Amino acid sequence: MFILSELAVAKPKIFMRLAIILSLLFIAGVAAPTFFPKQVPFLAPLSIDTDPENMLSADEPVRIFHNDRKKEYSLYDMIVVGVVNKSNPQGVFNPQSLQNIYDLGEYARQISWQGDNGPEGVIQAEIISPSNVDNIAQAGEGTVRFEWLMSSPPATEEAALDVYRKASHLPFLDNTLVSGDGKAMALYIPITAKNISYQVAAQLKEKIATFSGDDTYHITGLPIAQDTFGVEMFIQMAVSAPLAMLLIFALMWVFFRSVKLIIAPMIVAMVSVIFTMGALVMTGHTVHIMSSMIPVFIMPIAVLDAVHILSDFFDVYPRYKDRRKTIRHVMEELSKPMLFTSLTTAAGFGSLAFTPIPPVQVFGIFIALGVAAAWFFTVTLVPAYIMLMSEKSLDGFGMAHHEDAAHPTTPLARILYATGRFTYARAKLVLLLMLVLIGVSGYGISKIQINDNPVKWFSASHPIRIADKELNQRFAGTYMAYLELAPKDDQTAAFAASLTQAISGHNTPQARVFMQELPVFKGDVNAMKDFISAQQETAADDEAYYAWDDLAALVDEVYGHFEWFKHPDMLHYVEKLQEYLLQTGLVGKSNALPDVVKTVHRELFLGKDDAFRIPETQNAVAQTLLTYQNSHRPNDLWHFTTPSYDKTVLWIQLKSGDNKDMSKLVEAVDTFFSKNPAPVALDHQWFGLTYINVVWQQKMVSGMMEAFLGSFVIVLVMMIFLFRSITWGILSMVPLTVTIAFIYGIIGLIGKDYDMPVAVLSSLSLGLAVDYAIHFLARSREAAERHGSWKDAIQSVFGEPARAITRNVIVIGMGFTPLLFAPLVPYKTVGFFISAILLFAGIATLLILPALITLFEKFLFKSKRRPA
Amino acid sequence: MKKIFTALLFSSALFLSAPAAHALSVNEIVAKANHAAYYQGEDGRARVKMDITDSQGRKRTRDFVILRKDIGDDDKEQKFYVYFNRPADVSKTVFMVWKHVNGDDDRWLYLPALDLVKRIAATDERTSFVGSDFFYEDVSGRNPSEDTHELLEETDNYYILKSTPKKPDQVEFSYFKSYIHKETFIPVKIEFFDKNGEKYREGSAEAVDTIQGHPTVTKGRMKDLRSGSETVLSYSSVQYDAGLPEDIFTERYLRQAPTEYIKR
Repeated sequence: MFILSELAVAKPKIFMRLAIILSLLFIAGVAAPTFFPKQVPFLAPLSIDTDPENMLSADEPVRIFHNDRKKEYSLYDMIVVGVVNKSNPQGVFNPQSLQNIYDLGEYARQISWQGDNGPEGVIQAEIISPSNVDNIAQAGEGTVRFEWLMSSPPATEEAALDVYRKASHLPFLDNTLVSGDGKAMALYIPITAKNISYQVAAQLKEKIATFSGDDTYHITGLPIAQDTFGVEMFIQMAVSAPLAMLLIFALMWVFFRSVKLIIAPMIVAMVSVIFTMGALVMTGHTVHIMSSMIPVFIMPIAVLDAVHILSDFFDVYPRYKDRRKTIRHVMEELSKPMLFTSLTTAAGFGSLAFTPIPPVQVFGIFIALGVAAAWFFTVTLVPAYIMLMSEKSLDGFGMAHHEDAAHPTTPLARILYATGRFTYARAKLVLLLMLVLIGVSGYGISKIQINDNPVKWFSASHPIRIADKELNQRFAGTYMAYLELAPKDDQTAAFAASLTQAISGHNTPQARVFMQELPVFKGDVNAMKDFISAQQETAADDEAYYAWDDLAALVDEVYGHFEWFKHPDMLHYVEKLQEYLLQTGLVGKSNALPDVVKTVHRELFLGKDDAFRIPETQNAVAQTLLTYQNSHRPNDLWHFTTPSYDKTVLWIQLKSGDNKDMSKLVEAVDTFFSKNPAPVALDHQWFGLTYINVVWQQKMVSGMMEAFLGSFVIVLVMMIFLFRSITWGILSMVPLTVTIAFIYGIIGLIGKDYDMPVAVLSSLSLGLAVDYAIHFLARSREAAERHGSWKDAIQSVFGEPARAITRNVIVIGMGFTPLLFAPLVPYKTVGFFISAILLFAGIATLLILPALITLFEKFLFKSKRRPA
Repeated sequence: MKKIFTALLFSSALFLSAPAAHALSVNEIVAKANHAAYYQGEDGRARVKMDITDSQGRKRTRDFVILRKDIGDDDKEQKFYVYFNRPADVSKTVFMVWKHVNGDDDRWLYLPALDLVKRIAATDERTSFVGSDFFYEDVSGRNPSEDTHELLEETDNYYILKSTPKKPDQVEFSYFKSYIHKETFIPVKIEFFDKNGEKYREGSAEAVDTIQGHPTVTKGRMKDLRSGSETVLSYSSVQYDAGLPEDIFTERYLRQAPTEYIKR
């Protein structure tokens, strides 16, 4: 490392040129494929990924299951358009509003275009809007009718209210399409893929802009949230990163008063960010919510070591008045601690590679890479830059006079000097305070609530949050979770066995032929039916034909038994589960197969309320469902079950997308199943985005804990190696341990949710906070050796070394604050807590470490001298 | 033989009546196609196997017998009786339709397991027929007078017609195109287009057999191009002029199926 600095001092121009060429190459490497993808197909373009699903890797079982079932039950990602009218006493159920809603619904159907892989846009057939859903109702004289709920906009107030009355009478639409209070409506617009939601929403907004009237339109839904997130992410990167740069520049100017000189750390920061982000994009990684924070992280870290060099250079230059000699002095003193602080920081971030969450892995690995790059550019470019400056321009640079630790002149120096004396005199008090703090933190940690909600990543005033609040107040909930119930045992084998038994009673030649063929079908009922049809076509006579017919009927009958969710007792079981879900208080509403059966049954029996029930026999259920399938949307049935009725899905609407609520629901449902065995042993499995969020959170919590413990051990080992002493190694871990305990204690005490950004903090603070301890202890040990006793040494330690640490705390701690201006909550959280961690770690280092050294002085210095 | 003879007879008659233009008028083509598709013979019966296959390849099968009787010979009033054999749990379910050219059809549904005869309002005939991709109207026939027809093209084998609804707000299509076989007048293909002018639904005759002299579609397919679902109807045991008495097309016979006519 020192060799590198030596080389840089010898050939400064080469190093500067290399850095410039490297930066330009990386910029081109990102820009070329992004703007001219056709010309450079071998390079990966910049691509943004805002999908929270990607918190889990694509081959994660829960995601595979989720995508599989989405396809199986034809479920799509949806844009939700809520329409609210607060001035009309009838809410939106007036002719004017409904005309607009009708127009919007009809307009939405036409939003589609030819994409690269076939048509993209709105899935017409699956839109839930008043003109696109069926009403089943009485049509006089014992006639039942299927009709579009609102085939044309109503002309009168009364007809408008009628739309509400009809919809609220249908369980599927009540509190979903029309609000419980009868004032609002929500349209659900399914789209081919999440990543086109912005385009679709833009077209909808254009249409909405043409409407007159006093309706408020809220466009929301998870796909919208994600797309918006992407836009805000760019704002974050475009605003926060330059702002951080500016702030760091300003702070350094305050400390060093030489624009020319402080340009050096800025170059280091710039080149490190370009290198890291370039490497990220060119290796084909997407820019995710996590990786978008990389520049803001790299910048302060990159500046950190450069500040040490400048700080030292600033103090030492007046002594030599020679660039080369000063640099040599500075680099000899700092190259080792700089290497170690860089290694520990890299280890802290690198530990994130062991979390099970891909975006966090990428984040950790590339920050570690960036830290390494920053170290390299610091030890080469800063010396090179200084060498390229003329000696004249350094005139008057540095501390005007050599500051004496015993007679401090600046306020900062005075405060530090007092601190040093205090820790020596009141070491026991400091330790007592520390122990109290740890106790309180422990209590706070026990109060920590693990929770997250991607919608809450937006600040409370964001339109998406407002829409979320408004719609969840009025409707049964905009957060969807799906629960699939399926028989535990292998149904194909059971069917084949039952069939064999049933046919063995038949002694016709056809039955014997069929029995022989049976193994060929492998339990596939359609294959059996096709075989029988083929036999019937070539049947010699009526007798043979009907013998085959009987067999077909038998196959059908036996198969029917395995159509579990046509069984009344199974439907009653699902009904019971639905009632239970409502009682948990977590669920606004659930839609399931029993609702369809009961509604159609009611309308078949004159629309009377007492007919709103599941009929007694399987045939009656089947015939009720057959009736339902004469509607405009017969395929809606397959959102709730499969054509073989062997499985069923409950649509569950939650008013809250908080993971803690979903987790509670998962637990409650587990309890239900363990206490209420179904008539046929069932497996239950969740899917839907609300559930996926819970899964990745669980993985994150345990994964982060492991990553943290792992990196804690790694850093400890590095410290023991650095100080060549177990005791000193352990000592160096104390400030950061107290810091982390304190920060998480506060999070628990103030009731801030332990979410994704908070989880990431532990590893980050580990890598950053240990830096101060390294610098402090290294200087302390050296000073104690020099002065002979700790009492004498403490004064000089609280001189230049303490000042360097304090300058660093201020520059780096402040460097993260631009994240507070980001529009998205996770960035704010990270910005706030990282600044808090650095500040507290600085304080902890300057108070706790000297107090501990004071108390254990004999032990520490004896043990240190022993190996020597 | 009879069919060819009829065809010859028709063409010569036309030749005589309109010597200058050897072509048929659009409305004549439509009337003939309507006849060929729905009104052949005095009555008819067939056993039908319905295979509904969705975009995921999941197949559902229904088996039913369809009986049809024309009332009068002006290709207008008709009665249908659809008796379900399978799936086993809907066996004996019956749909009955009295098709009216002026005014809404009458439709009945008999659900044996609920012991219920129910009238189904038929104001909108473009709803699914028992969950298939065929609409009611595809099964019983859309009244030609509901659309205005134009001849788009005449090829060697087909008349290609474009039919536009007179009341566009009552249907989901903006127009449909039909390919009518010049010799048999069987519509072999029919394509529906939406308001964006995009084709979203397509019916086709996959097999045509001459039965008792009537060219008859014995296999018809309807595809929903948006959902990727399709339904195939396979007709067997087709019989024309079976002498079906009109009284079996009454409510009385819903609960008590006319056994001899619904057998093979």
